[in-house]
Amino acid sequence: MHVSREQNESATNDAVTAAEAAWGALGVTAASVAHSSGHGYAFLRLTVPAAHVVTVAKGLKHDLGVNYCSMITGTHFPDGGSDRGWEVVYHLMRQPVRNPEPNTSHVLVASELKGHDIPLEVEVVVPLPAGDEPTVPSVQAVWKGADWNEKETWDLVGIRFDGHENMHRVLNPHDSPEGFHPLQKQHQIRYHDFNEMYDDAQGFVRKPVDEGRVK
Amino acid sequence: MAQMWITMGPQHPMTHGLWTLRVKVDGETVVDAEAELGYIHRGVEKIAEARDFTQVTPYCDRLCYVSAMTWSSSYIYAAEDLLEVEVPERAEYIRCIAAECQRIASHLMWLGAYGPDVGNLTIMTWALREREMFLDLLQELGGSRMHYNYPRVGGVKRDIPPGWSDRLIAKTKLFEKRIDEYEMLLDESTIFLVRLQGVGYATAEEMVEAGVSGPNVRASGVNYDVRWTHPYSVYDELDWEPAVEKPTSVKGSDCYDRYRVRMEEMRMSCRIILDAIEKIPGGRNTTYANGDEMILAKAPTRAPEGATGFSNYECTRGASQFYIQGGGDGRGKNPYRLSIRSPMFITIPFVAETMIGYKVADIPAIMGSFDPCIGETDR
Repeated sequence: MHVSREQNESATNDAVTAAEAAWGALGVTAASVAHSSGHGYAFLRLTVPAAHVVTVAKGLKHDLGVNYCSMITGTHFPDGGSDRGWEVVYHLMRQPVRNPEPNTSHVLVASELKGHDIPLEVEVVVPLPAGDEPTVPSVQAVWKGADWNEKETWDLVGIRFDGHENMHRVLNPHDSPEGFHPLQKQHQIRYHDFNEMYDDAQGFVRKPVDEGRVK
Repeated sequence: MAQMWITMGPQHPMTHGLWTLRVKVDGETVVDAEAELGYIHRGVEKIAEARDFTQVTPYCDRLCYVSAMTWSSSYIYAAEDLLEVEVPERAEYIRCIAAECQRIASHLMWLGAYGPDVGNLTIMTWALREREMFLDLLQELGGSRMHYNYPRVGGVKRDIPPGWSDRLIAKTKLFEKRIDEYEMLLDESTIFLVRLQGVGYATAEEMVEAGVSGPNVRASGVNYDVRWTHPYSVYDELDWEPAVEKPTSVKGSDCYDRYRVRMEEMRMSCRIILDAIEKIPGGRNTTYANGDEMILAKAPTRAPEGATGFSNYECTRGASQFYIQGGGDGRGKNPYRLSIRSPMFITIPFVAETMIGYKVADIPAIMGSFDPCIGETDR
């Protein structure tokens, strides 16, 4: 019924071998890591230098069948040192999806899945140097699903995606000031305890001048 | 003929929430469309950086106002991956049952909202009537009708109350008959069929390429479901199979297929519930005290820097994913970065493209069939 642990492990190990053979020379490291929650299924974790993101993305899609870009996360590390001031993490999936003939359905049977048809989870970690302009090449042309993920990551975190077409704000207002990316760590948020909330439910007094004030 | 842009939303019956669809029309035909989102962006990801791992759960409840239980469960699996917690089997069963109740309630809310979109008001009252049964069950678990804050890192808040399993079984069996009634109402209504059949085609491969997931992909004939490809909870021990539809055209699934697959999913959720409540370890008529080791495992409160957690969860609208990096404020008590992947955020721009070529009157039928929820889209 479900994809077994053995299938999952063999698919992940095959992917590790393939990734090391293909991109080991480019400075890419590959590892099979197991989750602690759920049933401890393994996934492929790649650490990729920013310069080779598109090469690896194309290889993942065309050679390993990773056809689904589900999430792109940017993180700001102001204390991370000069090599890792920022980080972009891509979560990708391999989904064995084919169009069925009309009036039929393409029902996958987990125990019969082999090779590149076994669902796989991939995490691609791209560390970026510290600085004001973190930039990675865009993978919009590789996976169409990366388009809005990249828009969101630029909008909220301020990571630039080189070569992304039609970049614009998606969650923040369109007239937000240039350079305002709220998930960068210089924008502070603090916890308001319940006393404060009762005294000032509307939040009129909670202004930046209060910063650091202990009630 | 001159073309012009029409703005539908943010206040429009079609939108099912606050967002704007801008469509370019040539006469009655849509020639271009684009989505504008972000009207109810609350910054949950930023807020979570100032909360500890337990305090984040209620915010995740509020990500989607019709499917709170699945969203908070999804977050909990990511937090458990980060904090390396082993969950008691009974708690996993309770979470699974609660999530399936929520899936039914969410699909019923979709059905109730979609009916008026396509000219059937009766189904709204019927669907909301049955939704109430499942909200009552969830209220008994979590204490609230909408936002339960029920799952905990390491288990669940409290055990199933006395007599709950009997009520659950009775209501689920009654509901299975009610699904037949819905189908008698809708599948024999000419207006309903004319509005749904033959519009909004999308193939499985193009949806996967664009990042669409969940029931929308299963409607086009592929049974890809996170619950069996990367099983979490106890779905690998239960007797079920993903609902899947047979699209009638090479162009993929139409709105009618997407309606059908959600009806079948509700049947499948009933089957999962009835199977799980019989197999639950510790017995379905037992109630353990709060914090008992049968329902709640001890969990650490701090995560070291460099630790990461990820969850891939089959939410009611597709795969919802959380990615957490540990080592935030309070020596690791808070997440350093919490990232949320909302299925509808990716789907809505895709649906806007799907509309090109159809008539303006088809827009509500196409949009509603993908089940948009703006709470999770804007976060």
